[in-house]
Parts: sequence; structure tokens; C-alpha cells
Amino acid sequence: MPLLAACGGSQEARKEGTTSGKDAAKILPAFVASNVVTPDIPSKNGSPVGFTKAIPAAELKTSVPQKLGSGGKLTAMTPYWGTPPKGNNPYYTAMNKAIGVDITWQNQDGVTYDQKLGAVLASSDIPDIVVVPDWNLTGRIPTAINAKFADLGPYLSGDKVKEYPNLAAVPSDAWQRGIFGGQLRAIPMPASYVTGMAAMYRKDLFQKEGYAVPKSPDEFLSWAKSATKARSKVWACDDMKWTALQVFGVQPGGDKALWWNLEGGKLVNRIETPQYLEALEWTRKLYAAGVVHPDAVSGKSGGSAANRFTAGQVLVYNNNISDWWGKTAEQRTQNPDFEMGVIDVFGPDGGDPTLWAGQPGGMFSFISKKASKQQIKDFLALCNYCAAPYGTKEFMLTAYGVEGTDYTVKDGLPVKTQQGVNEVSSTYDLTGNPAPYVAYPDFPDITRGIVEYQQRMGAFTKKSSFYGLTVTEPTRWANLVDDFEQLEDDVVRGRKKISDVQQAVSDWKKRGGDDLRAWYMKLLDDNGSAS
Amino acid sequence: MSHSTVPRSRAEADTPTKTPTASGGTTGRRDTGRQGRIGFWVRLRRDRTLLLMTLPAVLLVLVFNYVPILGNVVAFQDYDPYLSDNGFVAMLQSPWVGIEQFQRVFEDSQFWHAVQNTFVLFFLQLLLFFPVPIVLALLINSVIRPRVRAVAQAIMYLPHFFSWVLVVTVFQQIFGGAGVIAQTLADHGVNGFDVMTDPSTFKYLVTVQMIWKDAGWGIIVFLAALSSVSNDLYEAAAMDGAGRWRRMWHITLPALRPVIALLLVLRVGDALTVGFEQLLLQRQAVGPDASEVLDTYVWWNGIRNQDFSYAAAAGLIKGLVGLTLVLVANKVAHLMGEQGVYKK
Amino acid sequence: MSTVVDRPSLTEVAKKPSPWAAPPRPSWEEEPAKAGLAAKGIVLAFACFAILFPLWIVIVTSLSSKKTIDETGGLVVIPKDITFIAYQELLSGGQVQRAALVSIGVTLVGTLFSMTVSVLCAYGLSRTGSLGHRWILMTLLATMFFGAGLIPTYLLVQALGLMDTYLALILPSAVSVFNILVLRGFFMGISPELIDSARIDGAGDWRILWKIVMPLSRAVLAVIALFYAVGYWSAWFNASIYLTDQDKMPLQNIMIQLVQKQERPVGLTTEINTGQLSALAIQMAVMVMALLPVAVLSPFVQRHFKKGMLTGAVKG
Repeated sequence: MPLLAACGGSQEARKEGTTSGKDAAKILPAFVASNVVTPDIPSKNGSPVGFTKAIPAAELKTSVPQKLGSGGKLTAMTPYWGTPPKGNNPYYTAMNKAIGVDITWQNQDGVTYDQKLGAVLASSDIPDIVVVPDWNLTGRIPTAINAKFADLGPYLSGDKVKEYPNLAAVPSDAWQRGIFGGQLRAIPMPASYVTGMAAMYRKDLFQKEGYAVPKSPDEFLSWAKSATKARSKVWACDDMKWTALQVFGVQPGGDKALWWNLEGGKLVNRIETPQYLEALEWTRKLYAAGVVHPDAVSGKSGGSAANRFTAGQVLVYNNNISDWWGKTAEQRTQNPDFEMGVIDVFGPDGGDPTLWAGQPGGMFSFISKKASKQQIKDFLALCNYCAAPYGTKEFMLTAYGVEGTDYTVKDGLPVKTQQGVNEVSSTYDLTGNPAPYVAYPDFPDITRGIVEYQQRMGAFTKKSSFYGLTVTEPTRWANLVDDFEQLEDDVVRGRKKISDVQQAVSDWKKRGGDDLRAWYMKLLDDNGSAS
Repeated sequence: MSHSTVPRSRAEADTPTKTPTASGGTTGRRDTGRQGRIGFWVRLRRDRTLLLMTLPAVLLVLVFNYVPILGNVVAFQDYDPYLSDNGFVAMLQSPWVGIEQFQRVFEDSQFWHAVQNTFVLFFLQLLLFFPVPIVLALLINSVIRPRVRAVAQAIMYLPHFFSWVLVVTVFQQIFGGAGVIAQTLADHGVNGFDVMTDPSTFKYLVTVQMIWKDAGWGIIVFLAALSSVSNDLYEAAAMDGAGRWRRMWHITLPALRPVIALLLVLRVGDALTVGFEQLLLQRQAVGPDASEVLDTYVWWNGIRNQDFSYAAAAGLIKGLVGLTLVLVANKVAHLMGEQGVYKK
Repeated sequence: MSTVVDRPSLTEVAKKPSPWAAPPRPSWEEEPAKAGLAAKGIVLAFACFAILFPLWIVIVTSLSSKKTIDETGGLVVIPKDITFIAYQELLSGGQVQRAALVSIGVTLVGTLFSMTVSVLCAYGLSRTGSLGHRWILMTLLATMFFGAGLIPTYLLVQALGLMDTYLALILPSAVSVFNILVLRGFFMGISPELIDSARIDGAGDWRILWKIVMPLSRAVLAVIALFYAVGYWSAWFNASIYLTDQDKMPLQNIMIQLVQKQERPVGLTTEINTGQLSALAIQMAVMVMALLPVAVLSPFVQRHFKKGMLTGAVKG
């Protein structure tokens, strides 16, 4: 038994577990679909919808007919990957004016956001709005969320949401994810449950060298060996661990509840599966063969993998598939030949893969418990505005900024200016979003490519036992698996052995893994499985 | 003996345990010998300006060095920072768990691994780092051209003033996967050179970084001890026919002995602190297996994972063992006939 | 008075025709062997080279054009051209410039504050037998034996509401007991007659400190100020745990992001990603900005190090 079982278990305030079924139905907002523009590519197999055509300004619809904000002030802390914009820029001014709320953004480095989050939440001075990605829900953060953020139920449950029509169009499975500690606390950012993680390759360089896209793990390895030319600073790939986990059918690693799946009447954690070891072993082989860029060996991941990719030092890397558009748009300004593509996930033997559904909402916006009623309404006004769907004036302002300053219209297409690229980026769009969509009218082929990739992958995607639920684990076990990511990184780089993982798994079982299994099993019995 | 300059002046130092009569008071009112006869209020009036002057420093020390000691009570709790907006209140409201956090720490193999790394690094530093400043000091001391001496010293002191961030990044530029050495090797067809991410050689890398940064600085104390050796001694020895090496062995090294002993004691007392910032900066690159020491272990579990009580327990263990080491080291120094850090 | 100020090198220099030349050896000392001299020279030269060479590379690369860097395939050892483009870009506003200003500000304010507190305390403790003298000294000295620990200190800073303020970078590390002891040792060495006569003339402690003690202690004040300044300039850990606002981060922390984690400086991302600027030159320029003040200042104070360090080690 864990040593701390005696002290953590009985505290009501901690609100461990999850909320689903009838209990959830009581607090979930009603769903009212919005159909402003019919998507050019409809959703299939759980994919997002795609919009490939730009809508002329004259045809844009209005989804927020009257300003909902009261003119109050709010501060908002968000993770930010890359270059945060300067405050008080024309885009922010225009957005704040349109919403009717004066929002001040506090951007934090997205890579180390988890470290900052704990510190900020423990202080007495929490920003009014805090955005939390689900992969940062580790340790005591879920407890903190339950303790520090307001219940939005009184404003949104059932028909109340209809005051905010764009939020009413947010799918219910995304809302389900916003239930923390038994209350609707978060505005979720809806996401397609089909994986957005993709291995991408330099199509231009592949064509130049006459490479064929590999179709199995073995093919990939042998291609990588032939394509690596370290002397001319070209390596076949960057760190491919995430891809490997997909290829070998390991449950996704973001949300911890998804690490569990019911197999033959028993809950099995991803780290216990043979697939997990196989994925690490294959990645290790890549490192051992010297086909991975040396900077990836030294652990410099994140944004720089994409930089090595665009610099031509790496031919394949993996990241969110939105990079397809982001990197192409960035590089085309200097290099018109730049072209990239996506490699479909293959199975362990080159056949169809087994993929697992991610959560249908992975980014949450909260408002402090200390906020006044008016402030909460202002917050909802902000979220409702930002959740406007494609084809509306509100969407256009949120996504492209002010015409003439942040973007210009060329040949009917909105094109962001340098100022727009710097300023109109992930701040407002984290605090509210419509149902999952892809819309890059400047690159219709890429839009189509992304949606179709997710449609193809969606066909192989299964939902695991805790799909769709937001689970708050007991804090005494909340850090149990924290060391596994580091361990994975060590194993693939050859610093540790596969047997060390097996040892760590058996330690994990003893230190609370088996207790956690029983706890999840009870949760499953009480709530029923999603799949 | 004339060469024991440093400890002799140490004896002159006014340590609190010393009787006031023996100290060298500097002021006009040297009334140290009869302080018992002056009333408290008279002394307060006389010394109020002095007391006022010490006040800011004393307050800062009390708040930032003494108050946190009380904060260690969280090691006996399951501290939940989110129970209240105020940390003090949260501490009062958190449940008490006795010594369970300590048991958890002792049961964690990672903790023992950090202990092991700490000691390995400590001994390596003792073995490889410690002698370098002595050798360099002897070397510099034997240089008689004043300008050469000054320039060499200026260069050797320099890295001491660089931040660890800078030192680690400089090393990355030389020994890293994209560094000068790797670059040169790659030009000659040898790939994959990257000492900065190699866990097996990490402990040597860390020691070399320490030498690069602080060995030059370390020579100051030895140079001072050397400069206090009377030339007459050397001359007399030379007259007696002692050669260069014999003079070094019989005069120079004994002159350094007390300093070396003192610094050894200081180092052993500080054995559990083996370069926190330096290791933290490189933790990501080589992985915790090679780089985790007690201090980084506390950081990871406390600040990173927000498991404050657990980390505080680990920190407390480290603090207590560290304090014991200092006291034992001093005891040993006393037995050896040296002054140590404090006196009895 | 001149006995207090430690400037042996000056008198030496005055006597000798060239400071580079070797002074005559004492008659009893044998002429050193050529091989021994050569070995000595090689070791010294190597030590200096090992320190200077990496700095050379950093500086040269920061001044090289993207073309040179691309041709060399990375770090530049032999300069081919000189351009200040990296510095121009970094100093034309944006993240790095802001961080440099933060570092300068924190260093100046912090050093001034630390010096004030330390000098006052050192003087306040310099008269043995004054009221509470032993207790106060003991209170300070005891902190050299134990640390309260990272976690309680962190929780304290949090509870005091110092999170995300510059005060969190200054207050917890404002007082170095070691430095106070060095100052105190120096103050105690000042001739008592001087102070006595001032006191007879009716000067109070503030006046004595300001008019007599401090002017006589310029050397040690310079050394301690440098120690404090370097401490503030080099600090990054406190900022990494106490600050949340990216805009408040000092230069060292930005250097970690840019060089260690290979991120792009805010405002120059697109230029670097599309190959208009060399990421490496930018990184090296940031490193030069971090090392320059220290490298320029410390040699000036160098001749006082010995005295400062020695009194410190002795009295500590």
C-alpha cells in the first residue's frame, strides 16, 4: 500500500475522479449547430472539416450581432510557442474593441509552461483567465484547477449557453472534457480525436534525390541509412519517437487517463504493453544507426526540429500537422521551391496501423474563482467571439486581424503582412474555438492534404476506455509516471536499456501503479466506458 | 613558524567564541574588558547607531535564512499549496503525516542514485580539481617577471566571473555535437563526436568545466601563503646546499600545508554541494541518470513536480548530513592541530 | 594611510625599467634549467590558451557574416570578415535588448543595495565589545554552516508575494555574510588613532564611516562591489523559478533559451528561419554581451583580489 494513502484519500475538497453520464448531462451546455458556410471538405472518420476557399468580405456573416462585453478589464495567461507579440498592437486593440473587453495577455513559454503554471496557481495573484493544455495537467495542477477556478455551469449549462450562440455550437464531447471536479469549469478548445501528429518529409528534396517514401519501419530504417550524409550535414530524420509510438499502436501520451485501456477485462497501461517497448526499440535503432540529427540526440527538440527541417539538415521530422501549412507559408517567402508532404502512419509490418483516439478537447480556458459575475460574463463574451466559425466577420478578425494592417487581399485571398504574422497568432484563438476545422485558403492543397490525412488515419482510429473523460487522479499517485518520458528519451538515445524500462514498470506497479489501476477500474465500473 | 601566515591571522580573527579581551578593538572607546560593569541601557545608548547600521543586514538574514528553516515543517506534512492563496495559511491547513515523506524518500531508488552521483562527483573533484590550483600557484609563484605574472593571473581569474550559463554554453561550442572539435572531426570524416551529451564521461566533463572556471581563482589563497614565506628561509637552505626541489619540498610545501588542510576541511564540509547550477543546466542534455545530485533531485521533485513536502524532506536530509559533515570535518581539523573553520 | 591601500605592484613598476623584464635573481639562487623554463612556459601558455581560445571563437563567430559561417560549416576560428549585423539586430529592440537592460538594472540596483547593507553592517560590527556584537556576529556566521533549503526558501518567497517581481532576484541573495566579514576585517584594520581623533573632533559614526573608513577602504569596496555585481549579473536560477513573465527575464535566462535550447530570439524568428540571418552569429553575440562587462571590469579590480580574498578567507 502506498504510504500516503491514509492522508490523501478522504478529502472531499480534492474532488478526485470524473463526471460522466447522467451527472454530466445535467451540467453540459445544449448543442445548437451553426451552419454559416458549408465546408468544402466534410468531416469523415472523425476528421475536422476543411475550408479551401476564401470568402469575400462582402459575403461574411455576423455571428455576434451585438457586443457582449461590458467594457471591463481582464488579464489572461496563455502558453506561447515562439515569438509573443507586443502588447497594445492594432490587432489587440481591434479585438478588444469588437469584443467589448480590455484583455491583457501574459504569454508564457509553452515549452516550460508546466513549471510556471504550478507557481502561478499557488500564488495569491492569479490572472483572471488561465489557459491550460491537457498535457500540463500533471501533479497537483488538477487539484489547483478545482480549487482556483470558477464554475461556469450557472452561465452555460443546458439552454443557458444559447446566450452565446458560438459556444452553443461547440460539440458536446468537447464540453464533456471541460468538466473538472464535478463542475463545468473550462471552455474547451475542440479538437479532432484523430491524431494531429504526423511525420512530415521534404517533398522537394525527396524528388531531387529520387527517394521513395518509406512504407514500413524496416523500410524507413534502411532508407534513413542511405539518406544520411553527415559530412554534408544531412540527416534522414529528427527524433521519431512520437511517430514510433503511433506506428506500433501505443496509446497516446498526452492525457494520462488515455494511458489506460481495458483489455480482456483488465486495465492495461501503455507502459505495460509490448508495443511500447517495440516502439522504443525501433527508435533506438534509428539513433544507433546515426541517422538522427545530432541536435536531437542532445535533446534540443521543440521548435528547433522544424528549423532543422526547413534548413534542409533533416529530411523527415514529426510534429503537429499544422506545421505543413505553417512551415510552407514561412519558407515560400524566400524559397519558392520549398515543398513538404506527410507520411501516412504505417503498421509495424507495413500494413494498416492501429491508432488511438486523442481527447476531443485538449486546451482549456479557465476564469478565476475571484472573478465577479460581470467578469465571468466578459470572459464568456471573449470566448464566444473567438469561437466564431469560418465565414464570419468575427472569424476573419480573430484569425487574420485588421485588413490593411495585418493582412491584405490579393487575388481574393487574404495574405498576412509581416506585422500580421508577428501579431495575429495564438492568443485569442486559444480562448474559444468552433468545432474542429482546417482553413488555409492561401494553400487549398495543403488544407485538403491535412484533412484527408486525418480522414485516412481516422479509419484506423479506436477509442480507448477513458476517451472523452477528464479524470482527476488522486495526488498521491499523480507524479508516478512523470519519469517515463525521460526514461524513454534515455532509452532511444542508448543511454539506458529496454530492461531499465521493464524495471521501471515493475517499480511503478509497486509504488502505486497497481493501486492506480484498481482506482481507475472502479472509476470505469462507476461511470462506464466511453468506447 | 613564520610560514603559517594564514592560520595565524585566522587566530587573530575575531570569532564570536573568543574572549573579547584578546581581540583587537579599533575604536577610541576600547572598553571591552569592563563591559560587564556598564549597564545595558548605557551601552544601548552608546551603541544605538552601530546597532541601527547592522539592522538591515540582520533583518534580511533573519527573513531569508532563518525563517525558511521553520518552513522545513512542510517535510512532515502533505503540503498542498492550493489550499489557500496564502502560503502560510496553506501550511497551517495541510495535513500532518509524520515521517512518511522521509520513508518515501528512502524508498526511492532515484534518491540513492542522486546520493551516489553526489559522492562520485565529490571525490572526482577532490582528486582532479583540488591539486590544480596548487600546481598553478607554484608555477605562477616561480615566474619572476612582474608583467607576465600579472597578465597570466588576469587571464586565469577571468572565468571565475563568468556565469555557469556562459561556461556551459562555451563548452558546448567546443565539445558539443556542433562544436569546434566535432566540426573539425566531421571535416575529416569522423562523425558523432559529442562529449556534452555522453552520460558515461559526464562526470569528467563536469570536473573539467570546474577546473576551467575556478582553478585559476583558487590560486589566490595559495599565492598569498607563498608570498608570506620569508626569503631568508630559502637563502639559508640554499646556503646549506639544498637544491630547487629540496627547497620546495622542505620549505614551500610545508608553508602551504595549513592552507591545504583548511581548504580540504572546507571542501569536505561542503561535500554534498557539487555544482547545482552547473548540473541543472546540463540535466536535459545527459539525462538525470548521469547528472542528478541531491540538489537537483530536490529541485526536480519540489519545483518541477510541485511535490513540496517530499522535496523538503529530501532537502532536510541533505542539510542534516551536510551539517554533520562540516562539524566532523572541523573536529578532524582540530585533531590535526589546524584551526578549521571555527574554534572551540 | 598608504599602508592600508595595497598597491605593491605600483611601487614595483616604478622601480623597474620594463615590467616584462625579469628582475635579477638573488645571488643564492641557481640559474634555472632551460628545459624547466620551457616546460613552465608551455604549461602557462596552455592554461591561458585553454581559457582564451573558446572566448576567441565566440567573439569571432559573433562578428562573422552568414556567408562566412555557412562556408566554415559552423563556428569560425579564423576571421574572414567583420560585421556587426548580429549586434545591430539584437540591439534594435526586442527580447535580447530588453533582457540586457533588465540585467543591467538588476545588477546596478542590487549591487548598490547589497553594498549599502553590507558596509553598514560591517561597520556596525567593527567595534568589538559593542552591545549585541557577539550575538549578531554569531547569527550571521551560523548561516555559513547551513542553508534553509531550496523548498522552504521558495515557499517563503511565494508567501511574501515576491513571485514575478524583481525583488525576488535581489532580496533573497542580497546579503553575503562572507562579504560582510571581509569588509569588517578591513574596517577593523584601519588605524584606531585616526578614528579616535575624528571622534574627539565630534564626528559621529555615520560621519566616521563616510569620511574616514570608506575612503580608506576603496580597494576592498571595489572588490566586494565586483563580487556582488558579478553575482547579480550571473544569476539565472532565481529568475527561472521566481519569474513568470517572459518580459522580465534577465540576459542569462535568455541565453539559456537561445543557445542551450536553440530557440529563436523574439522578433528575429522569421529572418533566421528563412536564412536571412545566421542563428549562430546571433547566439554568439548574446554570449559576448553576457561576458563582456565581466571581462572588462574584473582586470581593473584584479590587483585587489588578493587582499580581499585573503582577509575574507582569514576572517571567515
